[in-house]
Amino acid sequence: MSVIEINGLTKDYGNHKGIFNLSFHVEKGEVFGYLGPNGAGKTTTIRHLLGFLTPDIGSAKILGMDCRKNTAEIMKNLGYLPAEIAFFDGMKGMDFLKFMGEMRGLTDTSYRDKLIEKFQLDSKGTIRKMSKGMKQKLGIVCAFMHDPQVLILDEPTSGLDPLMQNIFAELILEEKAKGKTILMSSHSFEEIEKTCDRIGIIRTGELVATEDIHVLKTKRRKSYIITFDSPAAASAFAKTDNFDKITLDGATAIVDVLGSVTKLMKSLSGYTIIDFDTQKNSLEEVFMQYYGTTEAKGNTTKQGGAR
Amino acid sequence: MFSKPLFKATIKQNYIVFIIILAVLMFYLSIIIQMFDPSTQDTLDEMLKVLPQGLVAALGFSEAGTTLLGFVASYFYGFLIFLLPMIYVIIVANRSIASHVDKGSMAYLLSTPNTRGKIARTQAGFLLISITLLIGIITIVGILVSEMIFPNELDIKGFLLLNLNTLLLYFAVTGIGFFASSLFNDTKNSLALGAGLPVAFLVLQMLSGTGESVEFLKYFTLFTLLDPDKIISGEGYVINFVILTLLAIILYASGFFVFKKRDLPL
Repeated sequence: MSVIEINGLTKDYGNHKGIFNLSFHVEKGEVFGYLGPNGAGKTTTIRHLLGFLTPDIGSAKILGMDCRKNTAEIMKNLGYLPAEIAFFDGMKGMDFLKFMGEMRGLTDTSYRDKLIEKFQLDSKGTIRKMSKGMKQKLGIVCAFMHDPQVLILDEPTSGLDPLMQNIFAELILEEKAKGKTILMSSHSFEEIEKTCDRIGIIRTGELVATEDIHVLKTKRRKSYIITFDSPAAASAFAKTDNFDKITLDGATAIVDVLGSVTKLMKSLSGYTIIDFDTQKNSLEEVFMQYYGTTEAKGNTTKQGGAR
Repeated sequence: MFSKPLFKATIKQNYIVFIIILAVLMFYLSIIIQMFDPSTQDTLDEMLKVLPQGLVAALGFSEAGTTLLGFVASYFYGFLIFLLPMIYVIIVANRSIASHVDKGSMAYLLSTPNTRGKIARTQAGFLLISITLLIGIITIVGILVSEMIFPNELDIKGFLLLNLNTLLLYFAVTGIGFFASSLFNDTKNSLALGAGLPVAFLVLQMLSGTGESVEFLKYFTLFTLLDPDKIISGEGYVINFVILTLLAIILYASGFFVFKKRDLPL
């Protein structure tokens, strides 16, 4: 039995907004990255998992229980990080954690205190006056402190600095090792590729793919920006025609490579290279690379200005 | 049944408003009781005659009785008792559910092993208990001040009935606020109904007292069901009690129902 089961989940808000016939499962001990541009339906899916919404059609289940009917029972084993932290006016960080602990009937606070230390959370201040990053840390501690079996995290690393992002990634891997089941949403591939086992990609409310991260990585094209010592050298390199796509711009060539880069390294060995860099791929580009140009182009125009 | 930590947090959130409203009510009630003097009753009536008739009637001062109960009933239970606790009810009812949904803190409350029903019951419980406490303290203060200044002058049974009527009225008014709070996602809409309706009732109540031609307006305001005259005469008030109680039950039950059933944009 899968820990998280979504079967044919549909919630139509009209105007092509909502989620449509969504189905995917997350197994025990798996970290599932839920990827999609803003407004694609990630949060709507999560709201169903938390039991805030009643589906039009289909069902969402966690640990075999219906998310809308057995919400409170599911919450005994679930940790949730909402996209935004908001609380009673004037509540201090520590008051909030104590309050949430009491609401859950939590008596052992040792793990909470460990997390506070790990994230260097300053829990003395009032939540309203905290920075975005500090609020996010507070939310993370709150989601993990009762050591739940299942974790649902909505854009967990937003607002965190790179150092804290690494600490967060460590925490996810630790929890995975403990056998936890984790669903994380994000709009950036880089953010979750370090920790996720499998990735589901959602666009305009429809799940376009679920794929093992390793498969996705090998299928994924990466772009390398290579600066040669002269435009002539660059065009000479471009003429070798060993690669699917080379874009020239003066002495700089952008080369798309699928999977292993050994071939690129070998063909570059005769040239003088001034600079060698990789291009960060946006989610859109990951789509393009994953689906091949033709299909992705069709989808891209449909989607318009989404990131 | 109830969530103790949430109840505690709600107390913390609201006790200041409670104390302010209570203090103002206690102040006015004591002053009004002190103003009572059977011998100067005529002078007071003379004074009221100087004021425009419409204004006096709107404030419910027109039928100032000669007994202490009648006096307090017209000067305190005619207008102030509607205005001040209503402010408390509007603020607290809006905070009970709607503001948690609007701000997003409801997402945290519902991500704990507590059902929507339990959260709603706790918040409704706070409204009912705190308004009972407010009216209860006012009742005790009223009796104590009366006995101190005018021993044996107050019809205590009548005064208790008057306050019971007030309490039942407020069960219904908090019911309106709670229902509005449970129904809407935005504080804005919750206030439009939860504050708009009681304020409209108050305005109609004041207007209906200003003359025969507009007297029919009293059938459009809930506050008509707090009727000191009927309590003083000792007749016909039971039906008001029954209507208010039923109304409160229906409103709270509907609030629970809609909050449990609806989609939450958290």
